[in-house]
Amino acid sequence: MRMRPLVACAATVASLAVLSGCGAASADPEGPVTLEYWAWPAGSKTVVDEWNAANPDIQVKLSDAGGGDESSQKLLTASRAGNAPDLALVEYTTLPSLIVADVPLEITDYVGDVQDAFTEGTWAQTTFDGAVFGVPQDVGPMALVFREDRFEELGVPVPTTWEEFREAAAAVKEADPDSVITSLPPTEFGFFAGVATQAGGQWWSVNGEEWSVGIADEASLEVADYFEELATEGLIQTEPLLTPEYNAMVNAGTMLSWPSAVWAPGVIESVAPDTAGSWAMAPLPQWTPGDTAVAYQGGSALVVTKDSEHPEEAAKFATWLNASEEGNTLLLDEQSLYPASSLGQEMAESNDPPTLMPQQDDFYAVSADISAQTVPVTWGPNVNLAKSVFEDELGKAIRNGTPWRDAFVATQDAVVADMKETGFAVSDG
Amino acid sequence: MAPYLFTAPAVILYVAFMLVPVGYAVWLSLRAYRIEGALLGRKTEVFVGLDNYVAVLTNPEFAAGFGRLAVYGVIAVPLTLGLALLFALVLDTPAARLKRFGRTAIFIPYAVPGVVAALLWGFMYLPSTSPFSYVTRALGLGTIPFLDGPGLFGSLANIAIWGGVGFNMIIIYTSLRSIPGEIYESARLDGAGEVQIALRIKVPLVVPALVLTGVFSLIGTLQLYSEPATLQPMTSAISNTWVPLMTIYRDAFGTDDLPQAAAASTVLAVGTVLVSVVILRIVNRKRMGVER
Amino acid sequence: MSVTTTRPAPAPAVRSPSDRARSRARQGGWGVLPTIVLLVGAFYCLVPVLWVYVASTKTRGELFTTFTFAPGTGLGENLTALFAYEGGQYLLWCLNSLIYSGVGSLLSVLVSTMAGYGLAKYEFRGRSFLFLSILAGVLIPGIVLAVPQYLLLSQLGLVGTHWSVLLPSIVSPFGIYLSRVYAMSAVPQETLEAARIDGAGEWRIFQRIVLPLMVPGMVTVFLLQFIGTWNNFLLPYIMLSDQSRYPLTVGLFTLLAKGSSSPALYSVAITGAAVSIIPLLALVLFLQRYWRLDLVSGGLKG
Repeated sequence: MRMRPLVACAATVASLAVLSGCGAASADPEGPVTLEYWAWPAGSKTVVDEWNAANPDIQVKLSDAGGGDESSQKLLTASRAGNAPDLALVEYTTLPSLIVADVPLEITDYVGDVQDAFTEGTWAQTTFDGAVFGVPQDVGPMALVFREDRFEELGVPVPTTWEEFREAAAAVKEADPDSVITSLPPTEFGFFAGVATQAGGQWWSVNGEEWSVGIADEASLEVADYFEELATEGLIQTEPLLTPEYNAMVNAGTMLSWPSAVWAPGVIESVAPDTAGSWAMAPLPQWTPGDTAVAYQGGSALVVTKDSEHPEEAAKFATWLNASEEGNTLLLDEQSLYPASSLGQEMAESNDPPTLMPQQDDFYAVSADISAQTVPVTWGPNVNLAKSVFEDELGKAIRNGTPWRDAFVATQDAVVADMKETGFAVSDG
Repeated sequence: MAPYLFTAPAVILYVAFMLVPVGYAVWLSLRAYRIEGALLGRKTEVFVGLDNYVAVLTNPEFAAGFGRLAVYGVIAVPLTLGLALLFALVLDTPAARLKRFGRTAIFIPYAVPGVVAALLWGFMYLPSTSPFSYVTRALGLGTIPFLDGPGLFGSLANIAIWGGVGFNMIIIYTSLRSIPGEIYESARLDGAGEVQIALRIKVPLVVPALVLTGVFSLIGTLQLYSEPATLQPMTSAISNTWVPLMTIYRDAFGTDDLPQAAAASTVLAVGTVLVSVVILRIVNRKRMGVER
Repeated sequence: MSVTTTRPAPAPAVRSPSDRARSRARQGGWGVLPTIVLLVGAFYCLVPVLWVYVASTKTRGELFTTFTFAPGTGLGENLTALFAYEGGQYLLWCLNSLIYSGVGSLLSVLVSTMAGYGLAKYEFRGRSFLFLSILAGVLIPGIVLAVPQYLLLSQLGLVGTHWSVLLPSIVSPFGIYLSRVYAMSAVPQETLEAARIDGAGEWRIFQRIVLPLMVPGMVTVFLLQFIGTWNNFLLPYIMLSDQSRYPLTVGLFTLLAKGSSSPALYSVAITGAAVSIIPLLALVLFLQRYWRLDLVSGGLKG
């Protein structure tokens, strides 16, 4: 797996024909530059080692500043203090708020030529008003990850619509009261945003020169009603995910599915390695039979920050990792990410399925199909606030037995009020 | 000249790492990050006067956080002090055995970092790993809802009590040891039992120590953060604004509203000073009244 | 534990056995009650600690499946995983904690002792103002300071370095307060006057006379400060982003945070917590005999 420097150099040159190649970089009179790089996926160390071995003049130093939320919080603080790292991985959800806070550098001129490696929808996740602020790294097309063996054992068909999902949930409860189809707690903001988008909702959107916020639009409220019914009928749990409790259920085979995204098998595998072989992945259930559209949940992009003294070199690393063949091999094999680039997604199809579901040979083919059907999502400049309020309000609604849609409305109000206070133009309605 | 030189290092560090930051926080609390009309403009810092304070003081969630803090404090503070006093008195009782072991064991939690303590108790609370729920389940009583509903307050208070009893016990105990033994002897000659001696003589004499530990416990209560924050991923009962410091942390780091966080911090700090001063006043007056 | 066992047997109780018997007889049925109360308290305080040691012997599978207090079979495996984690980062965290707490507390004791002595033994303009403002510092929540401290230290280019955690840890209003209380009671004014008459300089007096007298107070301040810094989470959490500079608390926290998505780390974090308690336990057991907490309790009177 160790790449020879020469090969890596050649690859870099090939993928970044416009940017100065290896020869030019090594002739740099200033000597080697060191780039600070914040990323959290497992295996990032290997990625950096590969790069450093091949690029003696551009050394990358990896720091793990915590997972997505934590890392972006630290990034913001570091940026305010003027010492953000050169490169940082950020989630799509927080990118707009970071742009508003002036954290990432516009890198349109450095990376424009790798745009072709991405689908338009993916590239749009890091492009605002024609300015590119990051290179997409991984995406999370939504999917249903489920216990194939238990569904079969209980005689429950795999749901293709949310209506069937409700029937499946009821059938599971009927057949085995100790099992539950899934748990969807208030902390799953990303999931609810995703399925609301799938239903036609638009939590944030841009109308001309104004924002409009639709967390409480008709489609989203119906989504709220649907999941509220499931919860009040006891068909789903609303307990936090990945707690020791939840993990115990996953291990015991009593947590039957996780509607989430294509990255889920990796997470479940680390929680319950012994259940490998019992899981499978299917497209996410649809609101309307016959539809194919899904949204993204999760995913991240690599940004170059304003504080970087070597933005060109930093952008070079970002494009190498995400738009080159070597980079995508590392994303797939070392970091177990589903690449954002079309190149990486094509490469994935020849990969073995995740360890959690070795029997599912078509895993990456299905992923590619789903990915081709994803609808782009626009995230607003205060997603963190929305997430925080949403979690609190939905948590309250669940505890107090009040309508879930009220929580959506409360979130909408808080988000609009915050945006107006900060000075954004927000259209009413 | 000498006193100034002796205090200089402390003063310089105090000014640099406490006064200046506090001043900076207050200054920041009068400002805000604003944007000019555009879709994704860049935030600039502007002066907004007391707007942040108005927002903090009218925020129902911030107030509710203080409410939850009060419930927690009403459980945690008296129990911590009461247990600390009880153990200190027991240690000071001639009849008690195994004192060294007891004292050391009760003091040990003080050496455990809050983050680790919350982790330990978290596992004690979670149904699948809780030994207590294991027992109650075996008895057919079901799982104890440590992390839900009203039980949550007790569970959080318990972590603070566990961590705080030992330290407070030692303070009260050392205070008891400094009382000359002759005082008890005369009481014993008068036929007073150990319990009476403890209640009538010892407790009044350690009131200063109790007041001090009480004030510290109270300050600790107002600064409650790491325990609920560490338990948060385990339960949906702890919101992002559960206690004031969690709101402050969220504003400062989560939602990029540092000025708002600074204003809330200022409110909290001023509140802490006020509460401490009021308590010390009341207690001192009472004590003087008693002494006269 | 070893410390207590290597000590000579505890000094015999002041009261003679017959005395003790009499006092127990006088209390009638109350005799064993105090001991029981003490044991219950000890049990309550030890259970979670005991748990962390039992849990550190469990493999990842056993952790959530076997009875809480049933020992597991994975201690060796967990220890190996702990010390091998990211190329031995755990030992680095231990070392960092030791540096932050050790060096920080040492400097803190020095600064506090000087200031406490100055405040206790000299009359000078602004003394009470200075003392009161330092006292008020006790009341300011750490989180209020952390962010401004971060922004200010970043102006100095110190954020992310060991200094960013060390420097703020040196100021301890409480330590200054305690030192003042101790200096007031432990340093006799007459000794100072006598030394001054002999023509000794103020600094020499401090070095030769005051410091030795204040050692017990300094030990107390050192211990409190050491434990405080060792247990501090928020300041290093905000200041540092390079894992190799983390202290134990932050390191364990990140392990735990990652544990939710890769639970193999739960066992590592638990084992790490178990190991991290040991040095502090040893310190507390060892120094318990030297410190003077009556300082704290008597302080309010002074």
